[in-house]
Amino acid sequence: MAAVKRLKRVAALQPGFISFKSSAESDDLNSGRRKRVNKNKKKNWNKHSDIQDVEEFLDDVRLQERATGGLISEKPDDSLFFVDIGEQKKSVLPEVQERKKGKKSKSRPLRIDLILQHDSLVPPPKDVLAYQQPNAKKLRRIAENAEKLAAMGVLPRRQKRLLNRRPATKTSKAKTAANNFPDRPYYDLWGGEAKETADPYYLEQTGKRRVKRPEKLNAKPSILPAVEVIAPGGSYNPDFFSHQALLLEAHEVEVTRERAELRIERQLAVKREDTATEETVFQELVEGLVEEEEEEEDDVVSIRGGLQQEKKTEKERKRERADKIKSQQKQAARVFTDKKQQLFQLRSIQATLKRREQRTRERVAQRKANQEAEKSMPRRLGRLKFQAQDLEIQLSDEIPGSLRTLKPEGSVLKDRFKSMQKRNMIEPRERAKFKRRHKVKYVEKRAFREIT
Amino acid sequence: MGGLQKKKYERGSATNYITRNKARKKLQLSLADFRRLCILKGIYPHEPKHKKKVNKGSTAPRTFYLFKDIRFLLHEPIVRKFREYKVFVRKLRKAYGKAEWTGVERLRDNKPGYKLDHIIKERYPTFIDALRDIDDALSMCFLFSTFARTGKCHVQTITLCRRLTVEWMNYVVTSRSLRKVFLSIKGIYYQAEVLGQLITWLVPYQFAHDHPTDVDYRVMATFTEMYTTLFGFINFRLYQTLNLVYPPKLDSKAESELKAEHEEDYAMDSESYLEKLSALSASLARVVATAEEEENQLDLFPTEGEDQENMQAREKEQKEQEAQKRLFEGLKFFLNREVPRESLAFILRCFGAEVSWDKSLCIGGTYEVTDETITHQIVDRPDMDKQYINRYYIQPQWVFDSVNAQMRLPVEDYFLGTTLPPHLSPFVEEKDGDYVPPEKLKLMALQRGEKPVQEEEDEEEEDEEEEEEDDEEEDDVDDEELTEEKNLKKMEGTRAQGKTLAVKVTPGKVKPWETGSVGNKVRLEQEEKAEEKRLAIMMMKKKEKYLYDKIMFGKKRTTREVNKLTAKRKAHEDASKSQKKQKKAKKQ
Repeated sequence: MAAVKRLKRVAALQPGFISFKSSAESDDLNSGRRKRVNKNKKKNWNKHSDIQDVEEFLDDVRLQERATGGLISEKPDDSLFFVDIGEQKKSVLPEVQERKKGKKSKSRPLRIDLILQHDSLVPPPKDVLAYQQPNAKKLRRIAENAEKLAAMGVLPRRQKRLLNRRPATKTSKAKTAANNFPDRPYYDLWGGEAKETADPYYLEQTGKRRVKRPEKLNAKPSILPAVEVIAPGGSYNPDFFSHQALLLEAHEVEVTRERAELRIERQLAVKREDTATEETVFQELVEGLVEEEEEEEDDVVSIRGGLQQEKKTEKERKRERADKIKSQQKQAARVFTDKKQQLFQLRSIQATLKRREQRTRERVAQRKANQEAEKSMPRRLGRLKFQAQDLEIQLSDEIPGSLRTLKPEGSVLKDRFKSMQKRNMIEPRERAKFKRRHKVKYVEKRAFREIT
Repeated sequence: MGGLQKKKYERGSATNYITRNKARKKLQLSLADFRRLCILKGIYPHEPKHKKKVNKGSTAPRTFYLFKDIRFLLHEPIVRKFREYKVFVRKLRKAYGKAEWTGVERLRDNKPGYKLDHIIKERYPTFIDALRDIDDALSMCFLFSTFARTGKCHVQTITLCRRLTVEWMNYVVTSRSLRKVFLSIKGIYYQAEVLGQLITWLVPYQFAHDHPTDVDYRVMATFTEMYTTLFGFINFRLYQTLNLVYPPKLDSKAESELKAEHEEDYAMDSESYLEKLSALSASLARVVATAEEEENQLDLFPTEGEDQENMQAREKEQKEQEAQKRLFEGLKFFLNREVPRESLAFILRCFGAEVSWDKSLCIGGTYEVTDETITHQIVDRPDMDKQYINRYYIQPQWVFDSVNAQMRLPVEDYFLGTTLPPHLSPFVEEKDGDYVPPEKLKLMALQRGEKPVQEEEDEEEEDEEEEEEDDEEEDDVDDEELTEEKNLKKMEGTRAQGKTLAVKVTPGKVKPWETGSVGNKVRLEQEEKAEEKRLAIMMMKKKEKYLYDKIMFGKKRTTREVNKLTAKRKAHEDASKSQKKQKKAKKQ
């Protein structure tokens, strides 16, 4: 406490020191009794010494620094005082007006911004480390050394090692351009190639040559041409008859389609005999009430039949055997005579033989023709059957007079697609249907519900 | 009795086939990848003969592949690439999800790609094999090149297709190998003869697309991927055969001509060269600068008898072909803006004409409308305001019909505003005795070198021709049959007339051999011939006679049908004529 007091006294004694709060301190000094404490321990020094006044003094110093930028006692008089020489009215008025205008035109800064502004006049402390560099001396020496070496033409070891390294082979990283790159280069694919002398089996097994494509795979799946030319009736300015022929063809297609539809409809229709009449309705109502005795009779008969089967007598057996032998003999005799008779039928037999051969030949030819025809037919390659495209056709009144007014019919894209299906290159498919995984739930929004 | 019991479906056709799903699992690919692989490698599904056996007793329809085919697929290096790609996509998706943009970039840089060159080589061991299979590739590339760049397929694919088709068209122009053209309602069919192979392709009209929904675009894109590769290699080889520079370059002379002032307005620098090439108006640069094609003559060998005849026939044919190639040589065409520029320019250039068009229509026009040396202007509108005297104004069909007829047709039928004659399909080839439409008959007569007669006489000539034809056929038949035939014809004629209302009966013609001594001689000769024939028929064996009768019956039937059709045609024409007359009367 004594130390603090002393310090305060020192401060107060300093020439020209002006404290901000000078009045309060004198009371504090005199009030209260001095407490006696042992001061033989360092701990007690700290504990029981009164540093209030020093702290207040330092606070005051800091406050002065913050508010005015330095100690007031050290400030020159000019900055603290001014000479009062009365009002200067004339000059004030326009200023006020101007200020008002300025207020209107310039928006005042927000209060929150003003609060947040840094209002201390003490400058922020300098970051000393920002100007210092660790090992600066060493680094400088190294740099100087490097410069000297560079001037002499000696490369540092790291750079030398980089230079000495083999360049990476570019071929391994060569990017393959996309197949649809518009400027892709082409070359002579079927040009002469070097003959390989090694064993082909060895080459194939070691992956040095690709496996040979089987000959069979190069056969086309259909004998149809890739581009089927439309019938002459499909000309943009067709001959009358060829156009009619094409129309007829299209008509026939349509008729068969309609017929198939009709057939299905007919099959689905309710039969007349299946409709309920009064009689059948009554029958149904009475069902089970009237007893039917026919079944029982049947049962009786069957039982009786079973019972009737008795053992055959010896006599019966003998007779049966004799009958059997007799019939066999008769049959054999019949065959014999027939054969004999055939001698006289030779001509007719020959004729029948010929006829039969003729028929087989015809059938063979037919089968061959069918097989040939089948080659050009679309096969069944999947779940769906091939369905031919609708015939492209223009009705008589749609035929354009000139090329300019022609409206193209059908789509070439579809034509190509169907052609591939027809030639068995791809299987006919249908577009995958969109399946909803969860059911859609309809909810009325509250806002909407309130209105209605 | 012994041994193990044989199990069902462990031998025979059940082991020769494999279902699609099993094949997929064997290759460890997704269905889309599997389908792509099959298309690229040219492996197609099979329909087994005994489905129930193959399907292990079930009759459910399934897609089957041959087991050996799938085993062959296992060796394909592309399969691994597909798997790599799958992994790449997974990684990329993950990087996106975590917003690791550097990772995305790195992955993008290392995107796995694959080449189809080896597959092409494997599928088509020789160049000719590939050329035979180019129809599909051509049609597909032409189709894709007309697509709008709207995201239905990759823009790069469209550009590549365009480039390849332009190269092809330039080749056809330079080699002059176009043979037939057919304007159909679907698109334009072309046929060219390249290195002895007839190649047909279909080009859609421009701006004619509505994208159908029931077409699998992914499958089509895969086919196109394969076909573009194939097509490029074929183009390279074809250019090589003509000593042309590949990729095609314009002739230096032509290039300087084509320098337009406002080129950069028309297309970007990167595209303008392709556009210039696709204009087709300039010739291409050659590897070795040679003066025009040399006339390659057939080597002459001393030959005898039949060989000589063959040789002569071949020589004649070749001459005809040469003449056809120079069909439009020396003509100067100008295309109006309403005609399909590309197809017309292509065709005209194929036959040696010079073509130009309006500057605003397309790049590459070499002269203006005002050029006095223009011989033909192709127009497709009812009337023109300003017409030059020294040129023909014709409709575009003239060009197509002339190409098909292999001669320059008379321009009168195709003048501005006239009703065009029908555009016949050049792909139909009539056999002997089939019905031939009168337009074609007229054309054939023109080809033979006969002069076309004026409108009014035209019909009569047709009749005459028909009669002549009939006569030719009937010569084979003996006299009795002839009379019978005539009766039949008459009856049919009357019937046909009965159907149509007002038809005037044309008076019979005096046949040339009935007048004059020369005619007599001819007639005598003919009678003699007929007599001989009758005797020969009488001498026939029963069997042969039967066959002969049958053949004759068939012939008669066809002639009857032909007569019927011609009568019908005549009736139709008369009806239309009378209608016209009525209209005229009404107008007056």
